[in-house]
Amino acid sequence: MWKKILAFTIPLTICLILILTSVFAGCGGKADKDKIVVGMSRSLSGPIAIIDDSAFRPVYETWVAEVNAEGGIYVEEYGKKLPIELKIYDDKSDPATMAQLTEKLILEDKVDFIWGGGGTSFIYAQAPIANRYNYVLITMEGGASSLKELLPGMPYVFVTLSFSDWYEMPVLADMLASKGCKSAYIMYIADLHGVEYNGVAGVELGKKGIQILGAKAVPPDIKDLSPVIKEAKASGADAFLCFAYPDQVFPAVGTSIELDYNPKVWLGGPGINFGFFHTAFGPMVEGVMGWASWNRKSSPALNELADKLYTGKPEDSNDWWGHAFYWAGLDMWRAAIETAGSLDNTKIRDILATQHLQTVLGETWFENGLMNRETHPGEVGQWINGIYEVVGPFDKATAEWVYPKPPWPK
Amino acid sequence: MSDLMVIINMLALVYLGWFVERSLQKNKSKMWLFSGLVVVMLVILFTLPNYGPTYSYIMVTTILMYLVLTVSWALFSGPTGYISLAPAAFFGVGIYTSAVLGKDIPLLAVVLLGGILSFVLAMIVGALTLRLKGTYFIMFTFGLVLLITNLLLWYEIKFTGTRGRFVVAAGNDTIYYVMLGIFILLLITAFIIKRSKFGLALQSIGQNEEAAAHMGINVTGVKVIVFAITAFFMGMAGAIMTMKWTYIDPYSAFDLFRSFLPVLMAIFGGMRYFYGPVLGSVIFAYLEEKLLTEFPYVYKLAFGIVLIAVILYLPDGLAGLVDKIRARIARKKNALT
Repeated sequence: MWKKILAFTIPLTICLILILTSVFAGCGGKADKDKIVVGMSRSLSGPIAIIDDSAFRPVYETWVAEVNAEGGIYVEEYGKKLPIELKIYDDKSDPATMAQLTEKLILEDKVDFIWGGGGTSFIYAQAPIANRYNYVLITMEGGASSLKELLPGMPYVFVTLSFSDWYEMPVLADMLASKGCKSAYIMYIADLHGVEYNGVAGVELGKKGIQILGAKAVPPDIKDLSPVIKEAKASGADAFLCFAYPDQVFPAVGTSIELDYNPKVWLGGPGINFGFFHTAFGPMVEGVMGWASWNRKSSPALNELADKLYTGKPEDSNDWWGHAFYWAGLDMWRAAIETAGSLDNTKIRDILATQHLQTVLGETWFENGLMNRETHPGEVGQWINGIYEVVGPFDKATAEWVYPKPPWPK
Repeated sequence: MSDLMVIINMLALVYLGWFVERSLQKNKSKMWLFSGLVVVMLVILFTLPNYGPTYSYIMVTTILMYLVLTVSWALFSGPTGYISLAPAAFFGVGIYTSAVLGKDIPLLAVVLLGGILSFVLAMIVGALTLRLKGTYFIMFTFGLVLLITNLLLWYEIKFTGTRGRFVVAAGNDTIYYVMLGIFILLLITAFIIKRSKFGLALQSIGQNEEAAAHMGINVTGVKVIVFAITAFFMGMAGAIMTMKWTYIDPYSAFDLFRSFLPVLMAIFGGMRYFYGPVLGSVIFAYLEEKLLTEFPYVYKLAFGIVLIAVILYLPDGLAGLVDKIRARIARKKNALT
């Protein structure tokens, strides 16, 4: 009898202890706040990992280290500075995994804030979740005109990066028209980014009377671009526009050099804006254009930012499009917390939506969820004498646009 | 707390799988006790949103998704030996059904339609390909996923001028209940198939297809219908899961990873047992999330090591290991008496 009782009692007691321990472990009193926990689901592995490595990661690592070196962000509610602690998960470059991990960060880890995932598709997946749980989401890489239409319904989402019609393509169209450019040939990647840029180019270039002589979609894993480049060359278009990622843009540059295809304008991106384009192609980059926002000459503050981000690091780490926007986004987030004196996402959202705040870009504000275009230090860039200069819009240019593009160096 | 709830519900799911296996055996002793426990497990599962933290049933929903994919896959591929790499295609058809029709028709109708369209696709594909054997069949099903992805991509870019689509979102508890319902329906279907002539026919096809044909079994017919039934469940799972993801495109909807995972999970759990794929997918899915979140920089390495170890040392998977341990305990007991 005793044997039977013992046989049941011991395992039952162990189970009960385990259950009670787990239950009470999560029921401690509210600890004194000593840090701000920021959760991120980023692509540490998979095809998007290259974007994470070169785009937002260098910014948040430097920015958080700098803020924490000062003791953190002052939060009036707690009467002290709170350092930032990052909690980062790997979404394997999969938006579905990112959606689940974002919910985990919010619901289970109960992080104070979340920062954006890496890419436009990821924003689409993450924005509705952040909005549902009333978490401020300042997005980093990515942006799209179709996202712009959704922002009024997602008041917690704020987009930092410039994109096709915000305000890159209208500026490019103005620039091309000013030089009498009559026609363009477009190669675009068959994804959200490529389809969107191709569509906006059709509209904006059309407004300026620039004819699209050909538009060719290519799959992300394309290996041989020579048929497309040959077709572009045969079209005789003044401008060749390549709306794709480094994996397609770089081979397109290489193939253009091989086939000696040298239109008056050769613009591609994202990819051209990174330092690793220069390290990969050396002097061949002269005259090649891409999307841009800033340069050391844009302002003293941005020169200082370039020092912080790039001094002592290889040129590969440079990103002359997104880095200034991401840094400004984080500056705005910090300023909003300090103004609110609280970590309450709703209060911070209200400040971000309505107030002008000081950032590395100067006075910065969001307009309907988008970083105001007047604060953009540039839209279009060009490699001139080994430096990626801002060449458009003309009033923000750091160097004069070289048109037509010089021949590929021999 | 959340982990504890997830683990309790994982055990409940594995128990349901084990119960189906037990019900298929001739040994009917203590069935009243086991049936009573089924009710307890169902109560635990159906009330999870009432007592568990929100993330616990989000996590169990993901586990259920893998369960439906793996059990459906094993129901056909297990006995017949036909390795299908088409789960991603059927799952993706469900996803796109939801993306296209989610705004216009009620949720349950969308889910059902996702299943029906996958069923129809599987009937067509099955009729065309289930005369193929071995590598040819594997290659065809693999190619099917790529074909649909690229066809869809071409269609979207050419005719809609976009690549991705937004999906009408549903509440986490709704998605959980529907997914649980699909899983239970799948278990009942699997039980009926295994108990029926179809089950025996499938098994004889797997052992010797020619002999089965000589015995008068319509081998192609049986294969096609069971293949389509399993696709029906995968399609339904895709249709409901996508309501959690809100935005999809052809690449994410027809992710080939979802074709390979059911195979891995079934092997991990043990193909010789009905509850093996259940055990495999439950543990595999949980392990994946734990490794991914706790060890983001080494999880793939750890995952690879676990998989290699299971394949090398546990050829019958985890279920085989459980069996071995039970046999060893029984031997010890007999030796003592």
